[in-house]
Amino acid sequence: MDRIKKDFSTLTLVMIPVAIAINIAVGQSIYTLKIPLYLDSIGTVLVGVLAGPWAGAVTGLLTNLFWGLSGLNVQSAPFATVAAVIGALAGLFSDAGWLRAWWKVILAGLITGLVAAALSAPISAYVYGGVTGAGTDVGVAIFRGMGLNVLPASFAQGVSSDPLDKATTFLIVWLIVQALPLRFVMRFPRANNVKAA
Amino acid sequence: MSEALSIYVARESWVHRLYPLTKLTLAGFMLMGGLALPGPWALYIFWALVTLPLAFLGHILNRLVLATLRVAFPFALSVFLIQGFLWPGGTPLFAVGPLSLKQEGLAFAIASTGRILMVVSSFLWFSLTTRPDHLMGTLSQRGFPTGLSYMIVATLQIAPRFQARASAILDAQRSRGLETEGSLRRRLKALLPLVVPLVLSSLIDVEERALAIETRGFNRPGEKTSLIAIPEAPWEPAARIGILICAVLVVGLGLWLG
Repeated sequence: MDRIKKDFSTLTLVMIPVAIAINIAVGQSIYTLKIPLYLDSIGTVLVGVLAGPWAGAVTGLLTNLFWGLSGLNVQSAPFATVAAVIGALAGLFSDAGWLRAWWKVILAGLITGLVAAALSAPISAYVYGGVTGAGTDVGVAIFRGMGLNVLPASFAQGVSSDPLDKATTFLIVWLIVQALPLRFVMRFPRANNVKAA
Repeated sequence: MSEALSIYVARESWVHRLYPLTKLTLAGFMLMGGLALPGPWALYIFWALVTLPLAFLGHILNRLVLATLRVAFPFALSVFLIQGFLWPGGTPLFAVGPLSLKQEGLAFAIASTGRILMVVSSFLWFSLTTRPDHLMGTLSQRGFPTGLSYMIVATLQIAPRFQARASAILDAQRSRGLETEGSLRRRLKALLPLVVPLVLSSLIDVEERALAIETRGFNRPGEKTSLIAIPEAPWEPAARIGILICAVLVVGLGLWLG
């Protein structure tokens, strides 16, 4: 309990809205580049890495609820729990010291992507009939055409895009943490996870 | 408060005057109905009997239906094409070239579309009729942690500004010759010059904000006074319990039908 209180320092509380805004702004501007990535969890992963799994989970949860309630991206709201798990995993990997070497960063991103795909598939299959309503549905169509059921086809689509997306996200977060001034990073509750003391 | 991140529509209606917590309970009831009822038609009946009348009472029927359809349409289209035609096995209804529309796939697509309609419209109904600051005021009065309230209100104010900053960075980099169109490799190369400046510039003022709210007594223990008074009719607490009972009944009905 004490640990959680320490994680939610004033700096973390101020950081979380900024991180949510980063998620939304980057997520929307990536759209103009038409890259097959979402990159809508950079802020979530950043908070998870710097302020621990609980703060990361709150950031992810709030991002999707906001996106949903603001009417900008209503369809993302049911995936709020998945976003929370992504933030929590970022915190756990950072606790385990995986954010110190670039190849471990990529590995952590790939694993997070697999977990995210496994968690979103049932939600997508149940709420949205297994489709995403976007360009990635070509993937769903291919897997359905191969004779997969609704849930496996949705999972297969997730596996083909989420790990790459999350690995890129983790790598970008790692680059950002490297670029931030040490004085700033050290003010965060879990700064020692990312910088050698 | 910036309105860009909210789709709230100011109207003089019975629904708008409801206490935000009561509206939240109603939206939760609709969401439960949307998730628990089985397909294919029960969802549409629920939508027509509960969601549409509630939207009508809030004078937002047009807005709600339009916004819901705009979100639901791409999903509905995909689900009909993919699940309707690519359903493995199943009873064919009619054939288009090598593909045929399957009865099971069609039933699944109708049910999914109904579920999307319900989920999307329950969120939209709530945000169209509730002012975000009223919701936050209510939640903090009910003992919701101030830290969480701060995060939500701050996001509402920051996010629209960030979107503006993101497009400013996009324009600035383009004017320096950054190519944001062309081959996939070229577009991928444009990724870092767009993302990194946005994130770094936004992190710079985080520390200043933290100091600013600390010096204004943010961490001070004890009760805080709210500037906005949110009225609640005396019958509303009882109504909320009634709605919750209805929600349980709908989930029960869904399990029994399914």
